[in-house]
Amino acid sequence: MRMGKLRFLLALWAAKLSIPALKITRHNGTDFPGFLALKLCPDFLRYAGKPDTVVAVTGTNGKTTVSNMLSDALEALGHRVLTNRAGSNIISGISTAFVRNCDLLGRVRRCDIAVLEVDERSSPRIYPHVKPDLVVLTNLFRDSIMRNAHPYYIADILTRSIPAGAKLILNADDLISCSVCPDNARAYFGVGRMESDVTDCVNLIDDVRICPCCGGKLTYAYRRYHHIGKARCDACGFASPESDYLARQVDLSGRTMTVQEGESSFAYRLSSDSIFNAYNTLSVVAALRQLGYEHEKIVPVLENITVSSSRHSEETVGKVRLIRQMSKEKNALAGSRAFDYIAGRAGRKELLLMMNCLGDTRHWSENTCWIFDADFEFLNDPSIVQIVCAGARCRDYKLRLLMAGVPEDRILCEDDEFRAAERLSYTPGDDVYLLYGTDSLERAYRVYDRMKAYALERAQADEEANA
Amino acid sequence: MRCEVLFPEVCHLCGDGMNIRYLRQSCEAVEVIETPLNSRPVFLDGGVDLVYLGSATEDGLRRIVASLLPYRQEIEQRIDEGQWMLLTGNALDALGEYVDCDDGWRLDGLGLLPTHAEYHMMDRHNSFFLGTFEDGDFSTEIVGFKSLFGHTYGAGQEDPLFTLVRGVGRYPGCGVEGFRRNHLMATYLTGPLLILNPPFTGWLLRQLGCDGAPAFEEAAMENYRRRLEEFHDLHRDPLY
Repeated sequence: MRMGKLRFLLALWAAKLSIPALKITRHNGTDFPGFLALKLCPDFLRYAGKPDTVVAVTGTNGKTTVSNMLSDALEALGHRVLTNRAGSNIISGISTAFVRNCDLLGRVRRCDIAVLEVDERSSPRIYPHVKPDLVVLTNLFRDSIMRNAHPYYIADILTRSIPAGAKLILNADDLISCSVCPDNARAYFGVGRMESDVTDCVNLIDDVRICPCCGGKLTYAYRRYHHIGKARCDACGFASPESDYLARQVDLSGRTMTVQEGESSFAYRLSSDSIFNAYNTLSVVAALRQLGYEHEKIVPVLENITVSSSRHSEETVGKVRLIRQMSKEKNALAGSRAFDYIAGRAGRKELLLMMNCLGDTRHWSENTCWIFDADFEFLNDPSIVQIVCAGARCRDYKLRLLMAGVPEDRILCEDDEFRAAERLSYTPGDDVYLLYGTDSLERAYRVYDRMKAYALERAQADEEANA
Repeated sequence: MRCEVLFPEVCHLCGDGMNIRYLRQSCEAVEVIETPLNSRPVFLDGGVDLVYLGSATEDGLRRIVASLLPYRQEIEQRIDEGQWMLLTGNALDALGEYVDCDDGWRLDGLGLLPTHAEYHMMDRHNSFFLGTFEDGDFSTEIVGFKSLFGHTYGAGQEDPLFTLVRGVGRYPGCGVEGFRRNHLMATYLTGPLLILNPPFTGWLLRQLGCDGAPAFEEAAMENYRRRLEEFHDLHRDPLY
């Protein structure tokens, strides 16, 4: 124990020393301090001091948004929060957060609460040493099959990793999340029936078709998308749990919802018009309630929080609206949700698809199974007048779009993403979307700049022609 | 032409379901029957041209075996009589002897293929595969992907479906991939096998009595040729 602590302190000091060195060399956003600490002391997190309360945020989608919103809210409520928002959500990123916030003796004195975004697969390396009091599990969907296989595999990893003493905040509308850590204390959040809900699944990915208890067919009272909804097994009576925090009257275009808890209801504002944002906000409300805050305090705090725009942004350029929409690469569900969202919006649309994994393009060849799980069928919509498929996988996109019934004359293929930007029409009045993944972020921003230039050129050409 | 998809409620990972849609888009005469878990497979009573079984979760595999076990002898008889069957991804493991998993889980399979799988749950295998398929005078190159918890062992090089060119066969170091038992074809390649391999799909359609070309043939062939170029490129390592 004494040797371990000594090694921890040496690792901490070395890691702390690396921080100014990284600043000087302009690498201060990396996980290097945590990486170094772990290299010198593999159980670094075991010895690092912890704040009084630790909240972990995990799940397939929304964990970055939820952990950022929760951290911002807690800071607005007077807490000093230890977060890993500057780094990654794997063990090196979390270790970096502790390196930065520990004093030279390894104590966390500046912060009274930690909000940690935790990658699901990293759980077995983190939770043995950083035991959360509260775990917010946003949802469990299919992610990259290469890393995450299927959501039940991830649910099993979480069940084996999350300590027995942690209380879980779970999405009642997601039966896969609900299966995690069945013996732990838990609270549920959910969104009540919406007008747009259906009963039969319209998506290719539908991972909860049979009862987890008896294998009987599940019947959905309503279904929002994929397996999200309220289900019941007629054979054995198994059913989705009731929500402790239930969102009702969700008005996405008006950006409002009501959260019902027991007999009381409270009006909340939403920062965007996506249903994912409603779930994210609701999970933050549930976490803050579990931390002891009253709705009257939470409502004004959340009104002043803005959600990061790296996933979605819009602006009018020339005579079109340019929209950047993230759609994580190798992730069928992210694609399906983005396609559904775009198809459902008003107006004529032009799309540039560049969700390729650039890292794979250089040294490997991207596994394209996800393309055949993603609902490209949503893009077979008369409002989507042009789809330019870009990058190394442009031919895969084209074939998949043809299989989805999209007329061939609406599809263009271009290996070079910058040339693809040139081939969009930028017809006045159109919404022009750029879909990109996290791996292609930097290139996507440069392609977007090119799109802006073309949109302006097109507008000027139109004006000159009209003059 | 009748195509029976077994257990779609659990066999739907990795885009596997699109194989059958592609067949249907390629041949108007294809009629798809979906057979749920715990039901008697239709093909046992004849009249089915192709049986398809796709990838599943580990619990899904257990349910597949439980559903098919009462019919094991009848299935074997149908295979020996020449029933066309296509299995992709880990569906192969349901027909193998057993699955051993490093977390203690074990599944006894149907024992219709002389092989067993070994899973390492925190060490996922990802690779691309380049191989060849031969049947009489017909031969073609095959491209595909593996994304699995392990490999299948014990059968040596006997009765392969594909011959390895680049990538990983039944197990690391093995020169062949998948199994062929009469008209039963089982491969560890996941996902859209038929869509990625239009020449193979064309051959399969002909075996099943359909003369049509694979759907969207021009786009599919262009995609296939591009992928072949990539997989032949020695600067690309098949292992992820």
